[in-house]
Amino acid sequence: MSLLNISNLSVRFGDRNAVPVVDGLDLKVDKGEVLAIVGESGSGKSVTMMALMGLVDSPGIVTADALTFDGNDMLKLSNRQRRKVVGKDLAMIFQDPMTALNPSYTVGFQIEEVLRQHLGMNGKAARQRALELLKKVEIPAPESRLDAYPHQLSGGMSQRVAIAMAIAGEPKLLIADEPTTALDVTIQAQIMELLLSLQQEQDMALILITHDLAVVAETAQRVCVMYAGQAVEVGHVPQLFDIPAHPYSEALLAAIPEHSEGAERLATLPGIVPGRYDRPQGCLLSPRCPYVQDHCRQQRPGLDPKTHSLARCFYPLNQEVA
Amino acid sequence: MTTPTPAVAVDQSLLYPSPYKEFWQAFSKNKGAVAGLLFMLLVVFCALFAPWVAPHDPSEQFRDALLTPPSWLEGGQWQYLLGTDELGRDLLSRLIHGSRLSLLIGLSSVVMSLIPGILLGLLAGFFPRIMGPSIMRLMDVMLALPSLLLAVAIVAILGPGLINTVIAIAVVSLPSYVRLTRAAVMGELNRDYVTAARLAGASLPRLMFVTVLPNCMAPLIVQATLSFSSAILDAAALGFLGLGVQPPTPEWGTMLASARDYIERAWWVVSLPGLTILLSVLAINLMGDGLRDALDPKLKNAA
Amino acid sequence: MSVVLTARDLTRHYNVSTGLFKPPAVVRALNGVSFELEAGKTLAVVGESGCGKSTLARALTLIEEPSSGSLQIAGQEVHGASKAERKQLRKDVQMVFQSPYASLNPRQKIGDQLGEPLLINTTLSKAERRERVQAMMQQVGLRPEHYQRYPHMFSGGQRQRIALARAMMLQPKVLVADEPTSALDVSIQAQVLNLFMDLQQQYQTAYVFISHNLAVVRHVADDVLVMYLGRPAEMGPKEDLYTRPLHPYTQALLSATPTLKPDPLKPKIKIVGELPNPLNPPSGCAFHQRCPYATQRCTDEVPEFRKVDTRQVACHYAEQFL
Repeated sequence: MSLLNISNLSVRFGDRNAVPVVDGLDLKVDKGEVLAIVGESGSGKSVTMMALMGLVDSPGIVTADALTFDGNDMLKLSNRQRRKVVGKDLAMIFQDPMTALNPSYTVGFQIEEVLRQHLGMNGKAARQRALELLKKVEIPAPESRLDAYPHQLSGGMSQRVAIAMAIAGEPKLLIADEPTTALDVTIQAQIMELLLSLQQEQDMALILITHDLAVVAETAQRVCVMYAGQAVEVGHVPQLFDIPAHPYSEALLAAIPEHSEGAERLATLPGIVPGRYDRPQGCLLSPRCPYVQDHCRQQRPGLDPKTHSLARCFYPLNQEVA
Repeated sequence: MTTPTPAVAVDQSLLYPSPYKEFWQAFSKNKGAVAGLLFMLLVVFCALFAPWVAPHDPSEQFRDALLTPPSWLEGGQWQYLLGTDELGRDLLSRLIHGSRLSLLIGLSSVVMSLIPGILLGLLAGFFPRIMGPSIMRLMDVMLALPSLLLAVAIVAILGPGLINTVIAIAVVSLPSYVRLTRAAVMGELNRDYVTAARLAGASLPRLMFVTVLPNCMAPLIVQATLSFSSAILDAAALGFLGLGVQPPTPEWGTMLASARDYIERAWWVVSLPGLTILLSVLAINLMGDGLRDALDPKLKNAA
Repeated sequence: MSVVLTARDLTRHYNVSTGLFKPPAVVRALNGVSFELEAGKTLAVVGESGCGKSTLARALTLIEEPSSGSLQIAGQEVHGASKAERKQLRKDVQMVFQSPYASLNPRQKIGDQLGEPLLINTTLSKAERRERVQAMMQQVGLRPEHYQRYPHMFSGGQRQRIALARAMMLQPKVLVADEPTSALDVSIQAQVLNLFMDLQQQYQTAYVFISHNLAVVRHVADDVLVMYLGRPAEMGPKEDLYTRPLHPYTQALLSATPTLKPDPLKPKIKIVGELPNPLNPPSGCAFHQRCPYATQRCTDEVPEFRKVDTRQVACHYAEQFL
């Protein structure tokens, strides 16, 4: 039984007929697994997680066949029940650590707030635990940091505090939405290492949302590639990077400067991601796909098992490779 | 290999309406703002066509119809729809002609304070080391005095009358424009596009008026609308105190003043001008709210 | 190949007030940077927060006057230049900024924005200006009808094209690009980078390409300058620097950069600590507190930026990495 089971998740803004921002997404995450969700702007990766946490406000409409976490049906939870789960068993850290923390309260207060809310700890016990958490996320001089305000911390340290707050409730699943995009390279490496070591130590599942394929290659076990609201390929790392089945995965890999290896120009797909007004009738990639056939333009492929991964394509690539 | 152009998918930018259409779409969503706009259009119409719209001459005194109640009350006459005042003058005609003055006062005082206000604000924002603080301290001094008191003082020095009323109101509204402009300018100066204009070699006047100022207009437009309504109120207050427009000129505030004694006997002589002031100010404020909502989200969505 | 820009010992200090009666602290944002730039070549400037790359960008584009050092553009010395000479210098150096959303005037049509440099600096007629603008627009992949549009109607990638077009309108000898693709998705980044390379080939413009993304840098640069806390750490031809970095900081940066094919045999260099505070720089070598090879000499003595092998390095022990 998976820890997280998402089946046919759709998110629309407007009415039932509006173009979906997330379109029929299926996703499963097991206990202790690291899954990466990769996609560009407009692919729907952040909205998916927001829908899971119940953070999609109207006019957003969330529909799904199943949206279960740890046995809880996230669609049917009341606000009260949801508050017990979110922040404790299900936690999230965001892209910009400087704005993720409340600037008017000290770091210690904010961590203790989580402990108070979810673990019922108070007073000295809470402060002690907050200190332990700061040590766990490897913040230098943690005693003094407890009384520091967020603006006194650097980006890297703020992100560590955010991580401390997220793991305070000992979550079963941690969602990290572009946690290192706003940080410097050397700090990025530190934070990613920290996340992975915490994940292993606490046997926590980790969903990493990012647009950086290199980060995925170094940290994830499985990866889900999203395009225009749909999952187009789900597979294991490193197979998906070595032998991608979906043309979009291939294009993403080809566009990375690392892959050019001396070529004068980077390989690119012409065109841009379809927006609200110009979604094709057939496969969403068909206007740009270098391998497109007539069939692709008329019908939408489903996400079906191919040789090495699940891919949403009628004519997947690299199928002959064993 | 030439760079592939985004030619395949339909270009998003061509689907966007013009900025005016976009603005109207946002503005018209706010029912209150549209109602305010309609009322103000009525007032403007009255002001423009007052001699033809008003049933009587506003200064003509009908000696045999002093203090006639409004037509729907007992004793009222259809000739004088809203009744007459203590000198037998038709109230409706006076209100319609009064709209001319109120609009005139509002418009001219806004223009008289907006232009110097923008200039001073631009200078304060572009020269933050010496000129900026000096200008702002001057504005602080002006703001420290209660606005009405300051207006009264100015009128007392210059003498009562329409032009001096406008001057007094303009002086009193100046500091808020300077502050707004300076704050907006300081915010925009750090942005990359200003640096890019500098890099292109833009001279200081060009930077001020072509690059930065158009991006500061939204809060200024809203403030101007709200100043309009407070100008009407200030003129009314000054008129009430006998310092503004002098009788027999039909100005709404002056009408209130001269009718003070008749509140119990003939409430309409006081209430109707007061109601007109209230409705006009309300309409302008609703419009101003709608303007701000329509202008600001566009700036936010630009990101 | 002609040299278009020569920088000698560029330095920029700021005085920061530390209190009412205390003397102001000096922030050495830029502390002695020298390099030469040839037409049609790209120098990449790499570093993390506080390394001085933004200050360098401002000095090179004449927005700020350096505290000391000399800067020559197309043979013209910047310091003490007359008004007419400055006007010419303006035309020779232009800049592309990081944020596609902040670098265009929201209230001006893009046709007008592109025409503005011509309006200010040339005596072309309105029709001639428009013609030039349309030609440049076509070159960067925009359509003629875009002339009338406002910036908020374009995507991030398109705005960077517009920004690049505006910078190239005067055909400058030097273009400073400050993280031009950091805010863009991978595939859009590829398109924009290709455009950069196309234009460079056509106009033989020299680029100063500031970036923290080492993968992108490897693709576009000819030479690389690595900076740390205002000082140059290492500078040299791209391939030499990437295959055999001599400065420990360069090694750390390269190691911290995630890669698609992580080499299990190459262990990650663990870098501890945060970036130093420019108000309170470490003594001796600025990197010594985080360097795995630091010795007492590193704490006492500031290393000289000297020639080793094919490049210049600021490390006492650079030779041991050869």
